[in-house]
Formats: sequence, structure tokens, C-alpha cells
Amino acid sequence: MNRTLRQIGLLIQKDLRIEARGRQTIGLVIVLGILIIVVLGMGLGAGRPVSGFGATSILWVTYLFGGVLCFEKTMAVERFDDALAGLLIAPIDRGVIYASKLITNLLLIIGLALVVTPVAMTLFRFDLSEHPLAFFIVMSLGVTGFTAVGTLFSAAVSSTRLQGGLLAMLVFPLSLPVVIMSTQLMRKVFEEGVPLTSTDVATLCAFDMIFLIVSWLVFELVLEP
Amino acid sequence: MLKTSDQPVTITTIKHANAKVMSPSTAIRARGLGKEIDDWRILLNLNFEIPRGAYVAILGANGAGKSTLLKILATLLPASTGQLELFGMPVRNNTIRLRSNIGLIGHNSMLYRDLSARENLIFFARLYDHAAPVQRVDELLQYVGLHHRADDPVKTLSRGMLQRIAIARALVHDPDLLLADEPFTGLDAPSCKLLQELLSHQHAAGKTIMLVNHDIRQSLELAERIIVLRKGKIIIDEPSVNLEAESILEGIST
Repeated sequence: MNRTLRQIGLLIQKDLRIEARGRQTIGLVIVLGILIIVVLGMGLGAGRPVSGFGATSILWVTYLFGGVLCFEKTMAVERFDDALAGLLIAPIDRGVIYASKLITNLLLIIGLALVVTPVAMTLFRFDLSEHPLAFFIVMSLGVTGFTAVGTLFSAAVSSTRLQGGLLAMLVFPLSLPVVIMSTQLMRKVFEEGVPLTSTDVATLCAFDMIFLIVSWLVFELVLEP
Repeated sequence: MLKTSDQPVTITTIKHANAKVMSPSTAIRARGLGKEIDDWRILLNLNFEIPRGAYVAILGANGAGKSTLLKILATLLPASTGQLELFGMPVRNNTIRLRSNIGLIGHNSMLYRDLSARENLIFFARLYDHAAPVQRVDELLQYVGLHHRADDPVKTLSRGMLQRIAIARALVHDPDLLLADEPFTGLDAPSCKLLQELLSHQHAAGKTIMLVNHDIRQSLELAERIIVLRKGKIIIDEPSVNLEAESILEGIST
């Protein structure tokens, strides 16, 4: 177990070091995220405060598109100069590669959220102040499920020529259960004023667990040298 | 000592630190090995044994199945039929354990271009649980003659230098089996010669080397045994001293 955790840590450290050198992924997704916020914020009426539910919906769109870009870029690092073969021939379980990519992607999306969310709150007066904890819990669990699916499929499509387009087409429909549930919970909390229950959180957690376990098990089959 | 375009290189001795528990005299044993991908038969009923410490070249035309065979030996691809044993252990049940005794060199470097040579090698040394990764990497950088470029990102290195770092990566865990898939592709003559010497030096140190190559004459010079594949079947499996380039070329072409 310790060896597995150490290997996961090594792979994450390597991915983050590569990202720190070029800032190719985080720079790109933050620019994309801010552009989405600006376009949708303007569409909803610049200067007018955007309600909590509207804000979470816009932020979801940002995380979804930014996330797909993260998944694609973090796996592209492995495909360049066949670096993936160097990993695959090492004495590590394929699940280690999945876990490290999942955590790297989550960290990048958290980085995106940490920049984009305050920008949205400042520029367009996104009002999340009524239920900040509910927002944090629901979005965190939703993004985790989405990232679990996205990491799996980024490995599957990274060896094909379609990549970006195909990845979005596969990941968006499959992560719909968590996205729909998250937005419905946010509507309930922000528009109807109904507090988040433990059942709501447990259901989202269950979706996450299913996505994580299935992706972990299937990852070896989709990872082609 | 050998002069290259960038830096004089001395092929020195290098420690073979990790004592392996695998000791049988046969490095590779394949019985009825076959591979099918989408109903395409890539490899058909291959039977061969490679003794420990042998230097074997695998030749064949494009599409003969050479690289697929190497990927199966590297445990990157499973065989569709037959049995494969490495160092007396069936690959099927011992994949992860066997990987700690295999080194792979390809025509791509398998390195991370934004990391330096040292960072790449330390990363792989730690992945292989090497007890003293920093020291091992220093030794290897000296061995391949690139200590002076150790901290430069690998994307700034020439093709020849990249291939030397790729060899260092393949040796980082001191494997007994070295698999090389067309490692000379795109190299200039001095780099090619240096790579040949590095492989020969590893062979002299007791490593088993399987080299997939297109250059028949070079393979006859380097390897002590030649396996020729045609349409997924072995058509020649002979010591290289018994063979001539023309007969191999004829076998590949017909």
C-alpha cells in the first residue's frame, strides 16, 4: 500500500513539475474559463447580479470545458515521444497511473476554480454568499465524478487522431448524471431555499464511487502502448 | 575513447547493483506464440529459446511482426496464443515482477521533454525503487557521456544525445534483458557507433539483448544470432556466423 501511494506521489510530482515548467495547461484553461464567464455573464446582462443558481450553472460550463482541456493535455504529455511506454514497462500497476492522472486533473481543475470563481464573483456579482458550503460540497463531488470519467476516456482517446472532439463527446454524456444532479441540488438550495441533506450528499458520493471504481478497473484495458 | 560531435565519451564500467532473484540459464522461452489484432494474424506459432547473455537481432520487412514481438517480450502487449516465459517465469502471472528485469529502448526516447535528463532519470530510478537514485543517475550520466548536459531539458538535446539518455533510462534499474526496437533510426554515424558500443558493452557485462533492426550487415556484425521474421513466422533462426547478408535479404524479400 505504501509503495502504491509512493508511486502515485511520484507520478503526480512529475506531472506537476512538467506543468510548472510550461504552465501550458493551467494557463490555457484559466483563459478559456474567464472567456466563458465573460461571454455568459454578458449574455445574462452585464452589471446585474447573477443569482446563485445561474452562477453555479455558468461555473459548471466553465469547469466542464476547462476540465476536458485538462484531461487532454495531461495525457498528451505521456504520448509525446512515447513517454507512456516508459511508464507502462515500469513495475507499477496501471491503477497507479490512473490515480495519479485523476489527482493531477483534479488539482488543475481546483486551480481553475480558484481563479475563475472569484473573478466571476467580482466581475458579474455572482452571489454564492447565501450557501457557500453547499456550493463547495456539491461542486466538489460533481467535479470529482466528472474527472473520474474524463481521466479514463482521455487515456482511451489519446491514441486516436480525433482526441479533443471525441473526448468531449464521450465525457459529457457519461458524466451527465453527476452534472444534472449537481445543478438540480444547486437549484433546490439557491432558488427554493431547501438545505442540502445527507441523502443528497450520499447520492452524489455514490455516483462518484461508481465512476471511480469502474474507471479504475477499466483503465488497464483502454491504455494502449 | 570515442569522439562524438559533442563530447568525448569513455565507456567505463558501471555497477550492476541490483541483485536479481531470477537465475535460470534461459532468458526467453516462447512456445506457440501468436498475436492477432482485429482478425489480423500478426505473429504465428513462434517457437524459440534465447539463452541468458545472448545478443540476438530480429530482422524482417516492414509489417513482418518484429515490433509486435518485441512489445510482447516487453510485456506491453499480451500474446493471443502460446506461452512466454522470461527467466523461467510465465509472463502471464508475473508481469509486474518481470518488468523490473526488462529495459526497453525504442526509436522514440520515452522521456519527458520538459524535464532535464537528470530529472527524467531520477524519476524512473525512483519508480523502480532504486535504493540510491541520485548516485545511480550520476553513474549513468557519466556512462553515456552526458554529465555536462544533465540539467538541460531533454527537448534541447540532439537526437544522438536523446538516444544515449534513453539507454541510461533503460539501464536505470540494471535489467538483465535489454530490448531495443530500431534504436539506430535517425542517428548520425558517430552516434550510431557509440550506441553500438554501449549495447556491446552491456552484452559483455552479461545482459541478454534483443535488437530489432533493419540493417542486415550491422546486425550480422553486432549480434551472435539472427532471427528473421516473414509474415509473422520465423524463417531463419541461426548463429550469425552461419549467415550472409545476401541470404537474409533473399529470405526477407521472397
